[in-house]
Amino acid sequence: MAESVLKLKINGFVRRVAVSDQETLLEVLRYTLGLTGSKQGCDKGDCGACTVLVDGEPVLACLSLAKRNADKEILTIEGLSGPEGPHAVQDAFDNAGAMQCGFCQPGMILSAAALLERDPEPDDEAIRHALSGNLCRCTGYTRIFTAVRQAAGIEADRKGVDPRPAPAPPVDPKLP
Amino acid sequence: MLRLPAFDLLEPTSLEEALHLLAEHGGDAMPIAGGTDLLPNMKHELFTPKVLVSLTSIPALRAIEDLGDAWRLGAGCPLGELANHPGLQQSLPALAEALGAVGGPHHRRMGTLGGNLCLDTRCLYYNQTFQWREALGFCLKKDGDVCHVAGGRKCVAAASNDSAPPLLVYDATVEIVGPGGARTLPVREFYHPDGISNTRLEDGELVVALRVAKPSQGTRAAFHKLRRSGAIDFPLLNMAVSLRLDERGTLVALSAAVSALAARPNLVKGLDRFLGQVPDEALVEAIANRCRRGSVPLTNLATDPEWRRAMVPVFIKRLLQRCLDA
Amino acid sequence: MSDKKKRDQGGADIVKGKASPIHGVDLPGGDVIGRPLRKADGLDKATGLALYTDDIQFPDMLHAKILRSPLPHARIKSIDYSEALAMDGVVDVMVGSELPIPYCVIPWTRDETALCTDKVRFIGDGVAAVAAVDEATAIEACKRIKVDYEALKPILTIEAAKQPPEDEAIHVGNRRGNQHKYVDLSFGDLDAGFRHSTSIAHDDYYFHGTTHAPIEPHCAIGKPEPGGQLCIISATQVPHYLQRELARVLGMAQQNIRVIQPALGGAFGGKSEPFDLEFVVAHLARKTGRPVKCLYTREEVFYSHRGRHPMAMNFKVGLDDEGKIQAVRSKIDLDGGAYSSFGLVTTYYAGQLLTGPYDFASYGFTSTRYYTNKPCCGPKRGHGSVQPRFAFECALDEAAAGLGLDPMTVRERNTMPRVATTVNGMRVQSNGFLACLQAARKASGWDEKWGKLPRGRGIGVAGSMYISGTNYPVYPNEMPQSGVTVQLDRSGRALVLCGASDIGQGSDSMFTYIVAEELGIEPGHVRIVSSDTDLTPVDLGAYSSRITFMAGNACIDACRRLRKLLLEAAATALGQSAKRLRLAGGYAVAVDDTAVSLPMQEVFRLAEAENGTLSASGWYNTPLLGGEYRGGTIGSSPAYSFTCHVAEVDIDLETGELRVPKVWVAHDCGRALNPVIVEGQMEGSTYMGAAELMMEDQDFYPADHAAPGLHLGPSLLDYPIPTSSEVPEFEALIIESLDPEGPYGAKEAGEGPLHSTIPAIANAIHDAVGIRLKTLPITAAKIWRALQETH
Repeated sequence: MAESVLKLKINGFVRRVAVSDQETLLEVLRYTLGLTGSKQGCDKGDCGACTVLVDGEPVLACLSLAKRNADKEILTIEGLSGPEGPHAVQDAFDNAGAMQCGFCQPGMILSAAALLERDPEPDDEAIRHALSGNLCRCTGYTRIFTAVRQAAGIEADRKGVDPRPAPAPPVDPKLP
Repeated sequence: MLRLPAFDLLEPTSLEEALHLLAEHGGDAMPIAGGTDLLPNMKHELFTPKVLVSLTSIPALRAIEDLGDAWRLGAGCPLGELANHPGLQQSLPALAEALGAVGGPHHRRMGTLGGNLCLDTRCLYYNQTFQWREALGFCLKKDGDVCHVAGGRKCVAAASNDSAPPLLVYDATVEIVGPGGARTLPVREFYHPDGISNTRLEDGELVVALRVAKPSQGTRAAFHKLRRSGAIDFPLLNMAVSLRLDERGTLVALSAAVSALAARPNLVKGLDRFLGQVPDEALVEAIANRCRRGSVPLTNLATDPEWRRAMVPVFIKRLLQRCLDA
Repeated sequence: MSDKKKRDQGGADIVKGKASPIHGVDLPGGDVIGRPLRKADGLDKATGLALYTDDIQFPDMLHAKILRSPLPHARIKSIDYSEALAMDGVVDVMVGSELPIPYCVIPWTRDETALCTDKVRFIGDGVAAVAAVDEATAIEACKRIKVDYEALKPILTIEAAKQPPEDEAIHVGNRRGNQHKYVDLSFGDLDAGFRHSTSIAHDDYYFHGTTHAPIEPHCAIGKPEPGGQLCIISATQVPHYLQRELARVLGMAQQNIRVIQPALGGAFGGKSEPFDLEFVVAHLARKTGRPVKCLYTREEVFYSHRGRHPMAMNFKVGLDDEGKIQAVRSKIDLDGGAYSSFGLVTTYYAGQLLTGPYDFASYGFTSTRYYTNKPCCGPKRGHGSVQPRFAFECALDEAAAGLGLDPMTVRERNTMPRVATTVNGMRVQSNGFLACLQAARKASGWDEKWGKLPRGRGIGVAGSMYISGTNYPVYPNEMPQSGVTVQLDRSGRALVLCGASDIGQGSDSMFTYIVAEELGIEPGHVRIVSSDTDLTPVDLGAYSSRITFMAGNACIDACRRLRKLLLEAAATALGQSAKRLRLAGGYAVAVDDTAVSLPMQEVFRLAEAENGTLSASGWYNTPLLGGEYRGGTIGSSPAYSFTCHVAEVDIDLETGELRVPKVWVAHDCGRALNPVIVEGQMEGSTYMGAAELMMEDQDFYPADHAAPGLHLGPSLLDYPIPTSSEVPEFEALIIESLDPEGPYGAKEAGEGPLHSTIPAIANAIHDAVGIRLKTLPITAAKIWRALQETH
């Protein structure tokens, strides 16, 4: 059936892609553009693993027709981090040990980032509510809540957590 | 992964254009708003339209209008936006609550008021993949000729939209446009008891808006969704009540609705007899029992309809109490 | 090894093995070990860089789809795929007869073929597969394959499976009809035990079916490689076993098959054996000469299952006057589904793993697994023992109530000694169960709550024990269970090669911490290559909670060999005795004068100059353990973890709705190599257990229905798992008992902390409303009905 060349603004760049009308945003992101950070878990909007931000709001890419996103700003997990490093939420998820298998995390992190964008200091109820469209099977959510609170600056780092992996060892000029 | 059957997506920018396209393609076309109901159903091959007419680029459908004595809510408004609208939360709390209880946050962001109003009825035997339904031998609602719930020739798939009960107790009106022009229909006449298609929308018609009169001073309303999970689910039972007391504390208005039973959201009848009395425990009990009488859950949603039925008076009582305590 | 044990393992060729070096707690650790470090792959996953199987695409790749049976039990009379094959875009079609060699992860119960050859055994059984240029074409082509079936009467319950088959057995030729495995074991004097009991609880319990529901659906890619080799990339937890079974079924040399497991999106036991899609992509890749990918739909994930066996359990527990357990007797029937899977082991585990954490002298169990025409059950987190643990812990509460004893007290009184041999011959060398009970008692405020909360609110406790790996691999051999190679590079980086599967539990991170600890380098300087059968030494896989214990020990072993060389090189360069040097934080430092130090990078270089290229392999094998009786090796483990759960519940007395506001989980993991990861495992396990009790139910339409054997709802909508909005609050309490053979004293933490969640909540419900619900799941409707009956 109908196909068209579409301009999609993804992670700040305009991408021209050929899409069929029935293709979902998730299919285009994952299989046409190779942006595989957005995951496919349930086929039909039951799990939230495919969450991307469209004009700043979390939506289900698996239930979003690609063609209807032509004039929108799409942000995927790949675009959340920048040259300066991971986004504060990504960093907090890593720091708090919020990820186990990691499969739900791109979606979860984008939902959390959108929450903090509109509510920089959410209470626990707001965090639970905002993430309730993203299923996680590994963690029991406990550490995800911690990560969001850490990213918001509500909860301090756990004492003794190493801030981040050490840089490569300095080259000793005396060595051959 | 489950994929969508092929179709042409048309994106009209005006209502007129949308109506024209729907008329032009007739039975081959379906309108699509948020898509959170239609697209899973299409992935299940419950619908295989050749043409989808997108309603999201029609600005006229997106307005939330305060008309002074009423609200006019565009059918294309996202559910979450309505649920979080301070004016609506204050004026129509039961509706705001209900819309805030739909699915998960994503569904409320994508799904629309019109879409929820027209949500396809649901059934354990229907909302499944083609392969699953094939193994079942299909059902009355789609591709088959047997109802696995009731065994009869009438489809009893359940109205599963969270918006219907509050819209019923608020006595809202549906604004419809179609090939024959514009018309309005009270929500209480919008549904009929046929699970195959439970709305009175004619071919080519679209819901444009809902008009909800602002309740008179002193009206209180509340909503409850009985659910299995905290999010991403459909109701096991939906209930809303609305009531008003006069200055002496006498009950002067009362309505209640129960849904997620069969195809038609049920506006409870015969509540007028309770008017004119000062609500006490016995009256609350009597109203709750009245609501139970007309509510007969089936095995279309959960396997324990007896429990679901018993929950009707429990929650109606709680809702009444919430209203009386407010 | 005794001859008897050899027999138990099937008596196949046994390679001469030698005892494994045990490092255990002689290495205290502490610079890295025990600290709440980040995970090795955390940022990769948080930024979307980590590649899962379906994220991988190859040029010219085909897509496969499997046609599945719409009938629960039928003979395949014919398959006509000519129309499918003729479709534009279809490259090839395969049917079961092309790969007729049966397989199973357990070598003596091979009863499954890649696709059905002669009959289908459940709705969803694979019948044919299509390879096409894209997935949509493959899906459409499957619809055009015509299969002519001759329907057979489906067998859907344990009771039906016990009867002689009306049409034919599910596995024709099975000697015992539809009975798959029967185990009857008894230890001590049961009669005397019950005679000495003053309070006996004796009841029937039922544990329903539940499934793993990882968020990542199964996916596999087959890729032909030059030289007739075949590479299979798969979302598996057992690359090594997969490689073995692929080789057998495909008739290829094992060395010509390479299995790679990329990042894995959750498994929980649901990806711990070969699945049809892996054979399909391998075979179709071989046939077409092109890469072939197959991705399950969510529905297919439910059909592939291998989840928790439904078990009908009769439990009898006797206590003497003082509340000491005198005897425990159980009779358990397992509903196995269509195939064997790990079922032989499950049948044993249902009894063998119940002999702790309590000390008792007489025990007996009879355990029988049946075939039914439903998706095959297998190992789900806490394999085999979660179900009887529910029954046992409920019965223990019932028996204690007969004596008027506090459930916490009765558990404290029965705790087995720190070092013990259980009644069925399992060796326990570390045991922090009493500390678990005490920690949970204190943290939960048990003493102020039990029996004292208002009606509708309650608190309950339960305990459990679980294995840290099984002593014997699933195929008999005496080679190491785990091998690790560590290579040091002159850049200052260490590379770890190991076959172990990181399935999210953090095994790659565990290697990072161990290498950093042992070699004194920063964790960021450690690279991990894992689960690639071409590149890594064998590890048997992520099952039975074995990796930390076994691969951890193997990694220490490898590091120790290198550490010696590094210390020698540093000692020479610094003019110090090697014994007075410490490797930590990126430096070799003199203990007596910290100003005397050398960067580890330089130490690496000096050691390489002295010894040549630096690389060492370490390995781990289990000591010979287990009871001297048939099956005595099953359930034996080098170490056991211990858990106690305390749960609080809040029940709506009018609706039966159950809320679990909080669960405390105290777990003896031996030593927490990283407390954040251990707590994450404890919380995740507890979450999964709570969900099984409250909402999950993998069930099927019964025989008298229009579609017998059809799954009630194979989707994440109809099979709900808790969302963030209703998940209980968890508090994890780590107990460290320091196992003498565990790496730095560590034991498992990934499965044990699930077990007692379920009975703790069930016991709390009893405390709240005085009702003993013995059939899972415990839904609001069920509680409401029970409340109605008591009125």
